[in-house]
Amino acid sequence: MKKVLICLLPAVIFAQSGYDIAGEMDAKRKPHDMRADLTMVLTNARGQTRTSTIRSVSLDGGKKQIIWFLAPADDKGVAFLKIERDNKDDDMRLWLPDFKKVRRISSKKKGDSFMGSDLSYEDMTNRELDENDYRLLRSEKVDGRDCYVLEITPKPKIKSTYSKHITWVTKKDLLPIREESYDRSGRLMKKKEIRYTNIKGYDVPVEIYVENVQKHHNTRLTFRNMELDTGVNENLFQEKNLKRLPR
Amino acid sequence: MTHGMKEWFLRQALEAPKRSILVGILGTLVMGMGLRWFVIDDDMMKMLPEDIESRIAWDAVREEFGSTEVIFLAFGREGKPVFNRENLAVLWDVSRALEDLPEVDEVFSISSMTRMDNEDGFLEVSDLQPSRDLTNDEIKGIIDYLNQNPKMMKRVVSRGNDYFSIMIRPYNDVASDVFRNQVVKTAEKLLPNYEVHFGGSAYLTGTIPSLIRNDVAALMRAGLLIMVVILLINLRSVPAVGMVMTVIILSLISMMGFMGWVVFLTGSDRFLFTMLNTSMPIILLTIANSDGVHILTKFFREYRHRKNVRDSVWKTMHSLLLPVFLTSVTTIAAFLSLVFAPIEQMAGYGISMAVGIAWAWWLSSTMLPGMILLKKWDLNSRAVTHASLFERVIEQFGYIVIHHPKKVLVLGSAIVGIGAVGITLLNIEVNIVTFFKPGTEIRNSIEFMDRELTGTMDLELRMEGDMKDPANLNSMLAIEEHLEKNPDVTTTISIADVIKKMHRTVMDDDPAYETIPDTRGKVNNLFTLYSMSGDPDDFSSLVDYDYKTGLTTALMRTVPTSEIVRFVKDINTFIDKNIDGDLSITITGMVVVFRDFVYLIIRSSFLSIFASILIITLIAALFFRRFLWGILAVIPLISAVILNFGLMGLFGIDLSHVTVILSSIIIGVGVDFAIHYIAQFRYFSANGTATDSLSREVVHDVGYPIILDAASNMGFGALLFSAFLPIQYIGGLMVFAMISTSVATLTLLAAIVELMKKRLTRSKS
Repeated sequence: MKKVLICLLPAVIFAQSGYDIAGEMDAKRKPHDMRADLTMVLTNARGQTRTSTIRSVSLDGGKKQIIWFLAPADDKGVAFLKIERDNKDDDMRLWLPDFKKVRRISSKKKGDSFMGSDLSYEDMTNRELDENDYRLLRSEKVDGRDCYVLEITPKPKIKSTYSKHITWVTKKDLLPIREESYDRSGRLMKKKEIRYTNIKGYDVPVEIYVENVQKHHNTRLTFRNMELDTGVNENLFQEKNLKRLPR
Repeated sequence: MTHGMKEWFLRQALEAPKRSILVGILGTLVMGMGLRWFVIDDDMMKMLPEDIESRIAWDAVREEFGSTEVIFLAFGREGKPVFNRENLAVLWDVSRALEDLPEVDEVFSISSMTRMDNEDGFLEVSDLQPSRDLTNDEIKGIIDYLNQNPKMMKRVVSRGNDYFSIMIRPYNDVASDVFRNQVVKTAEKLLPNYEVHFGGSAYLTGTIPSLIRNDVAALMRAGLLIMVVILLINLRSVPAVGMVMTVIILSLISMMGFMGWVVFLTGSDRFLFTMLNTSMPIILLTIANSDGVHILTKFFREYRHRKNVRDSVWKTMHSLLLPVFLTSVTTIAAFLSLVFAPIEQMAGYGISMAVGIAWAWWLSSTMLPGMILLKKWDLNSRAVTHASLFERVIEQFGYIVIHHPKKVLVLGSAIVGIGAVGITLLNIEVNIVTFFKPGTEIRNSIEFMDRELTGTMDLELRMEGDMKDPANLNSMLAIEEHLEKNPDVTTTISIADVIKKMHRTVMDDDPAYETIPDTRGKVNNLFTLYSMSGDPDDFSSLVDYDYKTGLTTALMRTVPTSEIVRFVKDINTFIDKNIDGDLSITITGMVVVFRDFVYLIIRSSFLSIFASILIITLIAALFFRRFLWGILAVIPLISAVILNFGLMGLFGIDLSHVTVILSSIIIGVGVDFAIHYIAQFRYFSANGTATDSLSREVVHDVGYPIILDAASNMGFGALLFSAFLPIQYIGGLMVFAMISTSVATLTLLAAIVELMKKRLTRSKS
């Protein structure tokens, strides 16, 4: 009996620690709004690449976001609006300038790819603390940095395309720098790596690399011209603004 | 062969027989050690030359859009509706299991397909089969969607709605046999309670090489047995047959060992044992057998008269060393000419055959006389005292030829003339489906695929141009429409079809919009909209990443090669007349590459025949020191080539990459008989035989071994029982080749030599 207790003890401690770490990450100070230009490079299994440049403005830690496509020339003018709503489906709209139509995007499938990238809508949505279970698996060094290795499992009632994530979080800054996401059947699906920069005391991503290991496809997202807390007006996040390409 | 060389070889056999045998065995052992690296490669793709135009286009297609060589798997129960929960769950499991195979790039079935729907103005892309276990409403939803999309329906369900079809695409670098084996294994494991059919070019190319090789190996064993029996009946001596077989087997080991050594030392693909090499053992066997038969029959005849083994061996080898050497040199030269063949594997084929023949010559010239010398022969045995059946027959045969040379010559020439007419009727057929007899399992499966599904052949049209330009997309649709006018085309697929469907869906599912949008911008918007919901790789088999190249695929029923040639020509004419703009179109696909490949083989084979005939003429002229002898030496060979290919034309036997190897067999054995005949004619002439009795003596001397050699090789008539039609034809044609080459030597050549004997002996050198 003693042996059993000894074996179970670390697991109990780790289970608590996992949640605590996630809680601390969630409590970290986030910018109210953010403007940035992003370059998205998609690479398929045959090594062919496709590059897009977009301008993104977001509010409330990304709960509201508007995106305009600047390049390639073919996509210039296409714009996307997303508003996350508590306990409701997210509102997502797309402006198709040549059809002169705004099309509402179904949010039924969170696993759908965003703009042909390896990022799904679920990847782009903030992960709610209480929608997941957390377990601290071990500590490990990544690129010389001490990290917690967390297992994050969506709670059964939550609709997710993933069965779990393994996330490497730096002990010093509590930043997720590496993540492996597993599909519903438990197979590794995506590998993510994130680099950060510090602006105005916020740790914000400067590069996100996502690889879909099942499809041998990857996406590299690079952030430039980042401006934080500039006082973005909430009225910007309206359908009519999709048609106005920002200067 | 110089006098010094001849003496040296005679010394090896007569003065050091044990050493000769030991050297033969040790040499074979060293060569045979290479068998460790002997590689059997069933990847048919490696045979296809990489530098022919259609292959270049095909490789570009495979590089841009993934492999076009797929396997179709259909399962169900005849006459019973396939759409039910149980079958769809099985389809789900099979599709997942196939997707999990490391060889598989993509699986296309109801379980893996997506559907496009208008969802409140949005183009919603979702899975056609949302989960493994479905409700009745979900099943009805799938059926309704497929009914609205008949092109899609054709690809995944049989006409009678009683079978599901799955298309499985491998990664480019996966060998077709490995891919085929994995797919079949998975299907057999998961579909034990269903009728299962396979089809598709990858299935056929993955199946055929090993099937053919196993079939040929089994029939070759039967052929060898027949050969042994015929030799035994005629030679009437087990040790003598054993000696012939020893030379054959050691030569085979050495040739295959040599291939292994080259693979080990150079890593060259040219020395892998592929389907193309299947004929090598048969050809070497016939050639090695020829040397042994000539030496042993001559020895028995000499021993009958001389009653002394040593004298008889000396006399035999003194008389035969030159012709055996010459037959080997000419055949080696003929095979080495394959080094210049446009197909890389043919170079390895030619060199390996040359090594095998060279070793057979060495063993026949040193080891075989050594073995004869060491054996204690019974002077009273029937083998020595009595002439064999063939020997007696040939006496009669020789009498007719020598007494009626003109009649024989006219009759022989007439037969060859008929053969020449037959050549004009030759048909080239590369469709590997025709390898199988009607009624065989594979043929039934293919016919099922043709009848119930989209067929198992495909043509690819690589379209280079702006794939967002409405003009180009409309051109693609026009080409598809034209392709579908051919009754053998079951369906066509291209990115233009998808754009039409997207356009309609976005425009509130209004059928009036099932068209290509009128501006490039709109086409681009459709792609953008799709990318907000669909998978980035969904179009990877239809359009490249930059939208600069598209692929139109026409799925077809099995048609003859001639029909493919005509169809490709027809498509090109249509494109020239009707398609303007900046669209550059190349027609390719495995059938087109195979067509070009076989043309190449046939061209190179005919070139090789001409080159071989020229080389043999020159070598024979050089060694017999007279150009006329050179020309006479190739007369039986040319006659046999004309007769064999002519007969193929007359009897409707198609020329394919398998049957065309017949030319090598004819050259391999055809020249030997003539050289033996000429060598003995000159030998007798030089040794004082009277001109009037020269031909009779020569026919008497070489006629028997020639006929015995030909007859023993008829064991390969066993190939007539092959499950594969081309192998059957090879069996039949080999038998005929043996008859035609030996008979042409003993009739045409003998008659000409008889008619020209005064001239030939007057100027002998």
